[in-house]
Amino acid sequence: MVTNYKAEKGGYYKVLFGLLALTALTFIQPTMFLPDMTFGLQMLIGTVKAWIILMYYMHLKGETLIGWTVIFAVFIVVFFFAIVIIDVNNFQYADVSHITSPAK
Amino acid sequence: MAHDSHEHDAHVYVPEIAIDRDGKEHVVQGWQGDYEGGKLGFWLFMLTEVLMFGAMFMVLTYYFTLHHQDFINASAGLNRVLGGVNTVVLLFSALTMGLGLLKMRSGDVKGAKLMIWATMLLAAVFLGVKAVEWTAEYHHGIFLGLDALQSGNEHSKPFGEILFFGMYFTMTGLHGFHIIIGIGLMLWLLKRINSGKVTPEHNILHFNIALYWDLVHLIWVFVFPYFYMIGAGDIAGGVIHGH
Repeated sequence: MVTNYKAEKGGYYKVLFGLLALTALTFIQPTMFLPDMTFGLQMLIGTVKAWIILMYYMHLKGETLIGWTVIFAVFIVVFFFAIVIIDVNNFQYADVSHITSPAK
Repeated sequence: MAHDSHEHDAHVYVPEIAIDRDGKEHVVQGWQGDYEGGKLGFWLFMLTEVLMFGAMFMVLTYYFTLHHQDFINASAGLNRVLGGVNTVVLLFSALTMGLGLLKMRSGDVKGAKLMIWATMLLAAVFLGVKAVEWTAEYHHGIFLGLDALQSGNEHSKPFGEILFFGMYFTMTGLHGFHIIIGIGLMLWLLKRINSGKVTPEHNILHFNIALYWDLVHLIWVFVFPYFYMIGAGDIAGGVIHGH
């Protein structure tokens, strides 16, 4: 379990610079390119950052069992996301619901 | 059969021995030695956190789909500079936490403790920035319970903006609560290190608290763009006005 600090800290700094670069991209994207696609691009950048954090800071790289457990949990979240988004676009009580509009 | 731990140095892990009916001795597998089990168990806990925040993001997306323009307008009113500062603060805190774990594993216990203190300092900075932000929003009349976020009065914001700010205060508040819990866990970790119960050889508690801190960082990676950035790019998103 005892590791070589100097050998491993270089990897941590590389990940830091990668995440800082992506954070800078998060800031400049809305004004520099594709402003009408801001939401999708912001979520894409966030997903790349999350993947880097999971693989390198949370040590998921090489973890088969835990890796599949995480994939399964994320799949459940995405699955319900998809159902809700499909449903909300066809919500038949939008005009009368107090959730979707203020009480009359 | 329990052993007498007082005879041993606090830093030395002494396994518990059980004797079966045939008189054979077996080492009891305690949590301190079950590194993989401890790690897997903590991951399962963290996945419940993912599902909880996932449900919140689902509600947020539901409202965003129904009240697209209100969400863009409300997002444009948030202070992106303070949100961005907190993003960078959390990023560096994830680094100090990771380096602390590396130092612990390499045998540098003093250096590990220093890194944990640095992480706690950055966590306090995050909470301080968040407090400044919420205070500014309160003085602008935007806070839970104030007229602007209640429907049916002359000061009411559009319904979609009320939903946006309701989710904003709920999710950033819950995230902030996780930061406070994280500081508490780090204080507990320092106590365990000082009492010799977390050592370079038995560092699963340190590893799991570092995982927790990375999860807190990971959640912010999505909270920040969803609330602060979606109003930054839309041309029809209203006037961009920070506090």
